[in-house]
Amino acid sequence: MIERSLVSVVDDDESVRESLPDLLKQFGFAARTFSSAEAFLASEFVSETRCLLLDIAMPGMSGPDVQHELRRRRQEIPIVFITAHGDETIRPRLMADGAIECLFKPFSDTALLNALDVALRTRWP
Amino acid sequence: MDVDFGGVVNAVPGLRHEAGPCTEHVESDAAQRQRVENLLAGENRLLQMVASGYPLSSVLASLCRFVEEAAPECICGTYLIDWSVPAFKKGAAPSLPGTFLDAVEGLPVRTELCPCGVAALEKRQVIAEDLASDPLWRDTPYRGLLLSHGLESVWSTPILALSGRVLGTFAIYHRHPATPSTRVQELIAQVTHIASIAIERAEDEAALQRSEAFLAQGQHLSSTGSFAWRVDTDDITFSEELHRIFEFDRDDRVTLEQVTSRIHPDDLSLFAEQLDAARRTGKDLDNELRLRLPDNSVKFLRTIAHASQDQHGRVEYIGAVQDVTARRLSEQALERARSELAHVARVTTMGALTASIAHEVNQPLSGIVTNASTCLRMLAADSPDIEGARETARRTIRDANRASEVVARLRALFAKKELAMEPVDVNEVTREVIALSASALQRHRVVLHQDFTDDLPIVVADRIQLQQVILNLLLNAADAMKEVDDRTRRLSISTGRGDHDHVRLAVQDVGVGLDPQSVDKVFDAFYTTKTGGMGIGLSVSRSIIERHQGRLWAEPNDGPGATFVFSIPLDPAGVANAAPVKRNG
Repeated sequence: MIERSLVSVVDDDESVRESLPDLLKQFGFAARTFSSAEAFLASEFVSETRCLLLDIAMPGMSGPDVQHELRRRRQEIPIVFITAHGDETIRPRLMADGAIECLFKPFSDTALLNALDVALRTRWP
Repeated sequence: MDVDFGGVVNAVPGLRHEAGPCTEHVESDAAQRQRVENLLAGENRLLQMVASGYPLSSVLASLCRFVEEAAPECICGTYLIDWSVPAFKKGAAPSLPGTFLDAVEGLPVRTELCPCGVAALEKRQVIAEDLASDPLWRDTPYRGLLLSHGLESVWSTPILALSGRVLGTFAIYHRHPATPSTRVQELIAQVTHIASIAIERAEDEAALQRSEAFLAQGQHLSSTGSFAWRVDTDDITFSEELHRIFEFDRDDRVTLEQVTSRIHPDDLSLFAEQLDAARRTGKDLDNELRLRLPDNSVKFLRTIAHASQDQHGRVEYIGAVQDVTARRLSEQALERARSELAHVARVTTMGALTASIAHEVNQPLSGIVTNASTCLRMLAADSPDIEGARETARRTIRDANRASEVVARLRALFAKKELAMEPVDVNEVTREVIALSASALQRHRVVLHQDFTDDLPIVVADRIQLQQVILNLLLNAADAMKEVDDRTRRLSISTGRGDHDHVRLAVQDVGVGLDPQSVDKVFDAFYTTKTGGMGIGLSVSRSIIERHQGRLWAEPNDGPGATFVFSIPLDPAGVANAAPVKRNG
């Protein structure tokens, strides 16, 4: 059996942590969920993760904090931000900082699939 | 020899007396009559000079000459005293050289220095008959001064005020030793009396001038002028500062037409209304008006005036007018800044509120969309995952419920408070609101008319919320007249009984009025015609009135403007329970 690419989801919202893994599995990915940035960074799945679906605003470390921390650790993972704050102005900054995509909740399954597609085709140095 | 004539010489007013050369001699009846007439004429002339406000020095000089003419060989000098030193000041000595007066100026008032010092300090006449032989003054420089001017005799008499205060001294010199005759003594009494009148009057005038100068300075510093207005004749008197404020020529006689011509065109009707009210009622004036000056600049004036009646019933207003332009302009700037700030704050809170509502709603929506997508995919697979689809459908429903909970929570957040019902006198609460909003109405230059029905029944209502409604209606009415400049910004507020045991209150303005299509829309939340408005005032007002089982509605006027009316039952609980309405008062 081909090993499935791992997509990790970091979001403090429970409904997201419940719903996204099933959809990701439907897409053919393996999925792991974390309720906080700290929990993800402390886990054994960081190096294994091929794409990170990352909430922006969370208690404790924020999404962009995780992005910087990973860069500091030289463990850069393609990141797709997901946010419930409909503020379009943050998107360009996140993209300029190297994010693959920034999806505004609620987003469609195809928008998510496209973003994952880009993320997995990206080869990191 | 020094001859004392009995101490204080009391001035006796209006004396018809005789005087003559210093030495007594027999004169004919005709000569005597002529002399008396001359004396009387001279006295009258002096008193006239005093009455018509001649400078003190020329009155005193004339007084000296008068004595010198009436009693030849006498040489006169009048000296004032500066008691703060104390020292003699120049008065007048027209027949002596300037050098003599210069020497007297600043001479200390002391008994050992000169006869005038004794006269001033001991309030008695001093006669130095022969200075050359008088041992009393032998060692004084004063003796040398007199002798060097050829004066050998001096009689010094204090000039006393009615209160007994010493105002100065009157001296008669001779070029030879001499003593005063009875006639001359009478003449001295006469002129020292006139001199005391002249000096006191000059002092009073100086004090008055000083106090007027203080007043003028005070008016200038505080930009406050004063005026008097005789209502029956329209005679107007302006203070100097008020001339300056109105930019009238200082010497112009001010007329009502001139004043009116300075009033800002937009305030003319208000001004006319207030004049009219003043004429009718005689009540105190307290208002704010604007002037438009010839250079088109605008001034804001605050006027306070009180009317008084003379015994003929004629009314005169006396008042103060303060130029409050600087204060008004800074207040306006402050208000602009404040409303700007309020607007920004509202926009940002609205923005923040919207964002947090969006976030709360987007989270469950996101779950719904993802679950539904998953569900579809599970069902669309070659071997549909029915169990998985059922689970995602359940989660979809749960997330949808979560979303509706968010909406319910938001509604609870904006939920209205309970009414605090108590007996309320609608007239009284209305008066309180008017008192609270008086300055705002004045600032809008609104003329308020109140028509309260006296025996209004007491209602059961939430006092504070009712006041919010009344305040809202008043301020809305004032706002609606903001652009009205061609007519009086008249705001009428009336109370009365309505049908079916209701009390009604109406607020009528002459403002922009209502578009027939929008009469009902004005009560919708977020409907506003005002740039600064949120559009919730009337909608909140209507919901408050409806919670009192009452009605709030708007109707256009026959003329310009609109009328907002509310009508509430005496006891909302009674209406709600369909029970007989209790009357509470």
